[in-house]
Amino acid sequence: MLPSATFSVAGTTTGVPTIFSGEFWQLGYHAETDRSRKLRIHFSCSCRAKERPSQRFLKLNSKRRCTLLTFAFGKEVEDSFFSDVGEDTDEMYDELFKNYGKVVFKRKDQKPATAEVDDDAESLSFAVEMAKVASEVKAADIKVLFVKPLVYWTRFFIIATAFSRPQIDAIGSRIRDLAEKKYGKFPTGDSKPNSWTLLDFGDVVVHIFLPPQRAFYNLEEFYGNATPVELPFENQPPFCN
Amino acid sequence: MIQPQTHLNVADNSGARQLMCIRIIGAGNRRYASIGDIVVAVIKEAVPNMSLERSEVIRAVIVRTCKELKRSNGMIIQYDDNAAVVIDQEGNPKGTRIFGAIARELRQLNFTKIVSLAPEVL
Repeated sequence: MLPSATFSVAGTTTGVPTIFSGEFWQLGYHAETDRSRKLRIHFSCSCRAKERPSQRFLKLNSKRRCTLLTFAFGKEVEDSFFSDVGEDTDEMYDELFKNYGKVVFKRKDQKPATAEVDDDAESLSFAVEMAKVASEVKAADIKVLFVKPLVYWTRFFIIATAFSRPQIDAIGSRIRDLAEKKYGKFPTGDSKPNSWTLLDFGDVVVHIFLPPQRAFYNLEEFYGNATPVELPFENQPPFCN
Repeated sequence: MIQPQTHLNVADNSGARQLMCIRIIGAGNRRYASIGDIVVAVIKEAVPNMSLERSEVIRAVIVRTCKELKRSNGMIIQYDDNAAVVIDQEGNPKGTRIFGAIARELRQLNFTKIVSLAPEVL
């Protein structure tokens, strides 16, 4: 029995079945708040299908339910969805949902909300510390942006301007040293000073630009919707020619 | 599966429109390039009045391929076109914005600059 299957979901409001294909636990449902309601819909559909004697496609393997909970629907299942809606077997659905629903959709890498907030706070303190170090080496116009709501792959951006390549080198090496000593983090990205030097610490990404490159790429405008973070030190104004 | 003579769309605003791969950078006689590989390419078509011109030889990073990209978790990503982003010798993108969706594998391959300019990362 293969774990992947084509399964269909009937939305209670629209009444139009949608076809998905793939494995449930790899689809990556991100809607946290809506999750339980969705699961309910998914599962009750499958149970309705089971009631019909002609539905020979539905398979529920209870022995290996963690990995092999397979649904396969034929065309006839979709046709029969709406005729059975009146049946009062909600309790059975609830019981089945209690037994299997959670198992099907639970992702192992999900963190509780408190852990997420803790991680954010930790990254914030790291980002502010990095910005402070950059300011000590006279980097100008330092901005820390909270980009987590916009992109999933990182939490904070630090954007800074330096006025020469040696200065970029100095800022980069100071940041690297501090991250290594205090936090045990090692950056990926540019190892040599570049006109746009990028240090990627995972949750925090540091961009150090020369002034023309900063104006050219204009990252602040691209991430204009990100929340800027207040910095606890005096920020040097941008350099003007 | 990008090989010499493959035509690629350009996924940034650098001014080039279409490229033709002429060499794959990497170990020796590499046959095919996929997402995250650097190729040497020639500009076949360019937007008028921009810094890049036709028949210029440049470097580009492949960001989308018609050949599917498989991940270890079983996910498969396949795009409708072959597309690349023009970069300079230092690895900075020549354009300022990237168009279309790109894969997160580029970040692991040290192209975080391209990822940070992209509107959508898969």
